[in-house]
Amino acid sequence: MATNTLSTEKKFTWGGGKSPFSVSYGKLMMWIFLLSDAFTFSSLLIAYGFIRHSYQSPIPNEIVKPLSDVGHNFVEHMQQAGLFVQENWPSPELVFNHFPFIHGIHLPLFFVSLMTFILIFSSVTMVLAVEAGHRMAKDEVAKYMLLTIIGGAAFLGCQAWEWNTFIGEGARLYSNPFGPRSFAALFFIVTGFHGFHVFSGVVLNVIIYLNVLAGTYEKRGHYEMVEKVGLYWHFVDLVWVFVFTFYYLL
Amino acid sequence: MQHTEEHLEHTETPHDMKSQIWKTFWILFALTIVDIALYFMLLSNHSILKNWVFIILGVVKAYYIVGVFMHMKFERKVLMYTIILPMLFVVFLVALMIIEGNFTNMLRWVK
Repeated sequence: MATNTLSTEKKFTWGGGKSPFSVSYGKLMMWIFLLSDAFTFSSLLIAYGFIRHSYQSPIPNEIVKPLSDVGHNFVEHMQQAGLFVQENWPSPELVFNHFPFIHGIHLPLFFVSLMTFILIFSSVTMVLAVEAGHRMAKDEVAKYMLLTIIGGAAFLGCQAWEWNTFIGEGARLYSNPFGPRSFAALFFIVTGFHGFHVFSGVVLNVIIYLNVLAGTYEKRGHYEMVEKVGLYWHFVDLVWVFVFTFYYLL
Repeated sequence: MQHTEEHLEHTETPHDMKSQIWKTFWILFALTIVDIALYFMLLSNHSILKNWVFIILGVVKAYYIVGVFMHMKFERKVLMYTIILPMLFVVFLVALMIIEGNFTNMLRWVK
């Protein structure tokens, strides 16, 4: 059969006249892609777990309490206090303690919690777009897609700020003032790879948004493309749950 | 066999999907709040148990994201197993490599 992909998608059946797994070809392939992508992220997190455990665990911080005032040379201060050494993994609490426009106050986890909420919320608007797509409500799909794009862009902005602060404190791929040099390297690679996924997701979302506005899916008769991109977007959120847990909480 | 009707051949989406979405959102929101609250309450606690609490909370969040947001709860069981089972082996590998990392740490102190 020399049919094109559009007619296959229209019927939602595969070459044999049935849909294995009761899903369309594109959706199953998205799932398979996400599985392989999950392997890639797992390999990074496995490397992180291995390397982190191959160093001594972080030295308990008894000096700085949350919300307390810290001076300008916080990193040097921590090095002198013996909390940032080469043998021990640094405590994430003492490294990621900044918040935009607030200087000199110890705020561990505050900024990254904000990023987590932004990503969860953009996940909700995405799934609402999918739900609106089932009802063929074009305006609602467009509205929620736009909100999702804004959420994704906000997250990327936060991450750029986080990287900028981290690099400003002297973190590089091959060296950092906090402890073992693989600490910063792993941070850049894991969050960078995740950020690249968010960026790709935003690009895909923009393409889908423009297609929704142009009425492409209205003509096609279904909004399944929104569902497929939605799967990818939720996966990005899912990975963040684990990056948040393993990188910042533990 | 000709199937020409434009019909989405996938498993049922519940009718109250919208309320389920918001319910899931509030669950995820609450779990993240619990994460943050525990983090600050247990800042000076360094037990292994604390790590496990955070990991289990992460897995619960993953269940809701994959189950409701990614629609997995409403798909065929066979699709679910195709995706979930390989990941269980990966979790096994994570555990193995963390144990291995601890041994590497011990080797650093053997001179």
